[in-house]
Amino acid sequence: MTADAVDAATTAVMTVPTVLPITERTNYPIDDIDRPWLVIVWDDPVNLMSYVTFVFRKLFGYSKEKAHRLMMQVHTEGRAVVSSGPKEKAEMDVFRLHEHGLWATMESGQR
Amino acid sequence: MSWRFTPESTGVAVGLADKEWKTLAAVLDQFRELLMIGADPNLMRLQPPARLDDAEAAQEYKAMTGDQLLRGRLEAIELIEAGGARTTLDDDAVAAWMQTLNGIRLYLGERLGLDANYRPVDKDHPEAPVLALYEWIGWLLEQLIEAASHTLSS
Repeated sequence: MTADAVDAATTAVMTVPTVLPITERTNYPIDDIDRPWLVIVWDDPVNLMSYVTFVFRKLFGYSKEKAHRLMMQVHTEGRAVVSSGPKEKAEMDVFRLHEHGLWATMESGQR
Repeated sequence: MSWRFTPESTGVAVGLADKEWKTLAAVLDQFRELLMIGADPNLMRLQPPARLDDAEAAQEYKAMTGDQLLRGRLEAIELIEAGGARTTLDDDAVAAWMQTLNGIRLYLGERLGLDANYRPVDKDHPEAPVLALYEWIGWLLEQLIEAASHTLSS
């Protein structure tokens, strides 16, 4: 998120009532994390860092920066959520990650 | 140093010396045979369980996707072989090369039991020739990644 976007969001939060009508609330962007299925990539000692970053960019269209950040998260924390969505999408994402040799799993986000 | 992969406007140019191609072709042949037999436990790394929380669902997923995954790997090998040592790779061929080189590397890494503390060639290592192959494949892959980065958007 850019600094401008953060400013705008902060301003919006401060000026709107605490409890919004349902219709207005649904207009807010839903964080991907809240969606039902999460696709996880796990750290492994063999895959090259440059390769993992490349695959994230290619499969998910992430910017170089975002792909690099996710790769570093996998590397330092052992795992990262790389995508999310309905079950069928998660299954397809896991398949494409497996095709590329990444260690990917999926799990329900509602636990 | 002469690079084996270089960016081109229409894709990525590959240029391997005849000896290198001969080595790679032999490795591709062996990798295909391993995949088709499918019995080597080190191949597990190429299709890890998709679910950690539900063994039955993981098995179902494997049954659903296993054939397609294998077919894709075999087709990728064929695509590399069809192109040969000196050609221009389009997006599909780049993907085939990348997935195959990485797949071979994963297999070898698993077989050698490499961990994060692995350090490049120890000549006394009983599997030194396999380690050398692992490193060569990694060297090729690094170059391909760099040469193909212009094919990604943003």
